[in-house]
Amino acid sequence: MATVVESEAKSSPLRERSVGYRIVAEAARSTGFCVGFAIILAMVLASAIYPEVSSLSATKISVRERFLPPLFFGEDWSFVHPLGTDQLGRDMLLRCLVGLRYSLFIGITTTLLMFCIGCTLGLVAGYKRGLWDMTIMRITDAQLSLPMIILAISILGVSSPTVTTIIIVLGLSGWPLYARVARGLATTERSKEYVLGLKVLGAGDVRTMLLFIAPNILPAIAFVAVLDVARMMIFEAILGFLGLGIQPPTPSFGTIIADSRKYLINAWWIATMPGLFLTLVLVSINLMGSALEKARNRIYGSAF
Amino acid sequence: MAAPILSVRNLTVGAADQNKPAILHDVGFDLASHEILGIFAETGGGKSVLSRAIANWLPATLVFRSGEIQFRGNNILSGDGHSLIKPGREIGYIGSRPQSSLDPTMPVGAQLVGKLRSVRPELSSRQAKEKILNLLAEVRIPSPAERFHEYSSKYSGGMMQRAMIVDALSTDPDVVIADNITQPLDVTIALQIVRLLRQTAEHHGVSVLFLSSSFPTLSQVADRLLILRQGRVVDGGTVDALVESPTNDYTRSVIDQIPRIWTGTSLPATKAHGLDEPLMAVRDVRRTYHVRRPGHFNKYNAVQAVRGVTFDVMTRDNIGIVGESGCGKSTLTRLLAALERPEVGEILFGRQELSALSNRELTTARQRFQLLMQDPYNSLPPRMTVGRMIEESLRIHGLASGADLRRRVERAMEDVGLPKSIYNHLPNALGTGDRQRISVARALVLEPQLLILDETVSALDQTEQNRLLALFARLQEEKNLTYIFVSHDLAMVRRVCTRIAVMYLGEIVEIADNQDLFYAARHPYTKALLSAVPTIENNPYDSGKLLLEGEPPSPINIPPGCSFASRCPFVMPVCREKVPFLTSVSQASAAACHLVSGETEPAA
Repeated sequence: MATVVESEAKSSPLRERSVGYRIVAEAARSTGFCVGFAIILAMVLASAIYPEVSSLSATKISVRERFLPPLFFGEDWSFVHPLGTDQLGRDMLLRCLVGLRYSLFIGITTTLLMFCIGCTLGLVAGYKRGLWDMTIMRITDAQLSLPMIILAISILGVSSPTVTTIIIVLGLSGWPLYARVARGLATTERSKEYVLGLKVLGAGDVRTMLLFIAPNILPAIAFVAVLDVARMMIFEAILGFLGLGIQPPTPSFGTIIADSRKYLINAWWIATMPGLFLTLVLVSINLMGSALEKARNRIYGSAF
Repeated sequence: MAAPILSVRNLTVGAADQNKPAILHDVGFDLASHEILGIFAETGGGKSVLSRAIANWLPATLVFRSGEIQFRGNNILSGDGHSLIKPGREIGYIGSRPQSSLDPTMPVGAQLVGKLRSVRPELSSRQAKEKILNLLAEVRIPSPAERFHEYSSKYSGGMMQRAMIVDALSTDPDVVIADNITQPLDVTIALQIVRLLRQTAEHHGVSVLFLSSSFPTLSQVADRLLILRQGRVVDGGTVDALVESPTNDYTRSVIDQIPRIWTGTSLPATKAHGLDEPLMAVRDVRRTYHVRRPGHFNKYNAVQAVRGVTFDVMTRDNIGIVGESGCGKSTLTRLLAALERPEVGEILFGRQELSALSNRELTTARQRFQLLMQDPYNSLPPRMTVGRMIEESLRIHGLASGADLRRRVERAMEDVGLPKSIYNHLPNALGTGDRQRISVARALVLEPQLLILDETVSALDQTEQNRLLALFARLQEEKNLTYIFVSHDLAMVRRVCTRIAVMYLGEIVEIADNQDLFYAARHPYTKALLSAVPTIENNPYDSGKLLLEGEPPSPINIPPGCSFASRCPFVMPVCREKVPFLTSVSQASAAACHLVSGETEPAA
């Protein structure tokens, strides 16, 4: 028992790093996180830089160059189109990278939106309890009872699908999960004695929620939210596949795959390339997400 | 003297790594059969390791390094440092936390039978059940046949501890180890348990090793004591010899630190009453909670937590509110701190009635009265630097900013004895006492007039407790503060309060000046409480005559008449019919008892 006390005293430097920092540092030690991070970084950089510097266009049709296979496949491959071209002669690499841009943008923004709405509502419900809790959680239940994809189809089918509407629709349908989790954590946090102590000092509800409870519960949820970025990217692809995503000619993973179904036998790469990109990104996001979650469990398990 | 049943020689226990310091060094003692041996050690003194070493229940990280344990004449330590004794069979063990020893998902009886049969497989389940039932009756668990099938959540703390005694005794051990068993219990219940343990040990012919960090409790139980300090036996002898003429310096310091109640206590200065306006006036305050009745959808039980409490707090006149668990002190504290509003009655602070204030006015009023809570680990916000925590009080009320803020916080830190250098540190490295100082500073920086202390010092060890009480006294001098001490600790209240109110089942049963209460208590409950206080002095109240049986009635079904009637040793027929009211006995003391109000003739 004495030994435990000693090691604790040693490991607490004068000013301890924040818990969030410690979790990221812990996660960064695992191979999975590093591999995932490296792939994501490469992808993000490529999608940010290559379309800007390339002389090719992702939308311009060039009939003479249609159905060119990727490097080292078939006969007439060329270094100009490393991943081949599609049925209208557009460069696949460029189209995939542009699609990735939209996919990542929509995935991240949607998750942020869900996180903000869900956590705010959950925090209020869990802290205030009573009528607030009742109202918010019933709305949450109602929202949960509508399948996400049906909601998205009905809204996007009526209004025109643009990036903004896609984000709003996905964000609105995804928040209940966050509200549930945040409410649970806020309820536990609220019953802790320090909240009572703040009340004695005269702190108001808003102050307690924003300055004390939120910093304690949000990081925990944020690490899980990383995994949701991947989920939202899949949803974006599904919407695109159904024709309710970003509209052509702007490329998106879903539309590319949907359009290429007809050429699957003689030009397999058109459908494969966006799928490959999506797989790589999703796998690396999941690698990072699970490393973060494991690190979080380790840190919280030891320190609390 | 016959051969000792348990004899420990040169026992050294520590981590498997020989370079790390050992936890127990060369411990040696003898336990005669039918003897109760007390072992005193402060927290961290090696008490639990010793008890677990003997019961062969050491955590996996610790090993026996050397020494021997003779049990009934055989060495039970094998050569390679393992104990040969089967845990729980010949040596019974009772721990300090019965809640965590009992499985909440199984009826208590089934657990006890299961444990008994796992250790003594030769017993049939019927025999085992019979045995447990007999023991449950013997430890005076009311209606044992029904309690046998109940879950531990329905047991009170005292009853759980009784069940653990049954658990330890059921295997017919020769030795029972009781590790701090009275720690979580109220004084009257603790005394019951201690007596019960003595009686049953005598009846079953069991030797008891009673370990505790409270010297006065040990003096109630044991005849012979060992003093353990940092894993070494430093002193030993009979209780009387140790108290009368301690030879060892450590023993002397331990005995000197035990708070005295009836001898040589310097009283806080008493102030004349009824001269000026009270700082806080509590008028017939009531609070009832409505709790859903188990098994019903829309029926509620009314839990009467506080039932008509009235008292005044005068400036610089410290008042103590004492009572046992469940007497309503916590609810009263919440009412006083305006965390809840009373249903009936009013609390006046200055001239303001607190429950009539708007939220904004209440926030402003809060600057003048502050509550300090018991647990300084949970009551401070996590992951925040010391300075920031104290700043928060001023920020909430918008009282200071910038350099002024920093200056005022530093002054408050200085006032409570915290070094300024830890302003930007997290409180991780601070001990309980220093953390409690942070919460004092947090309150103090608002310059309050009244501090309500809810068991604020009871989590601290004796030394740190003395320091904080001295701090409170100094702050009172400097800042003209008034304190309300809410506590179960009579010895502490005796030292710091001028007036004391005793609560029982949501009511004040007696309120009197310090001296009056301790020397001339009127109410039988007060007397019983005082008689049960663990002390090394000659207690003027005889616990033999006054000890309470049973436990307080539930605040859901309060019987008619005097609420104390069910446990009172002097109960009269009138007590079960008429409610006694607080009757003034002298200028400054009052008690709610028919014996005091002189109503002795039975009601028609």
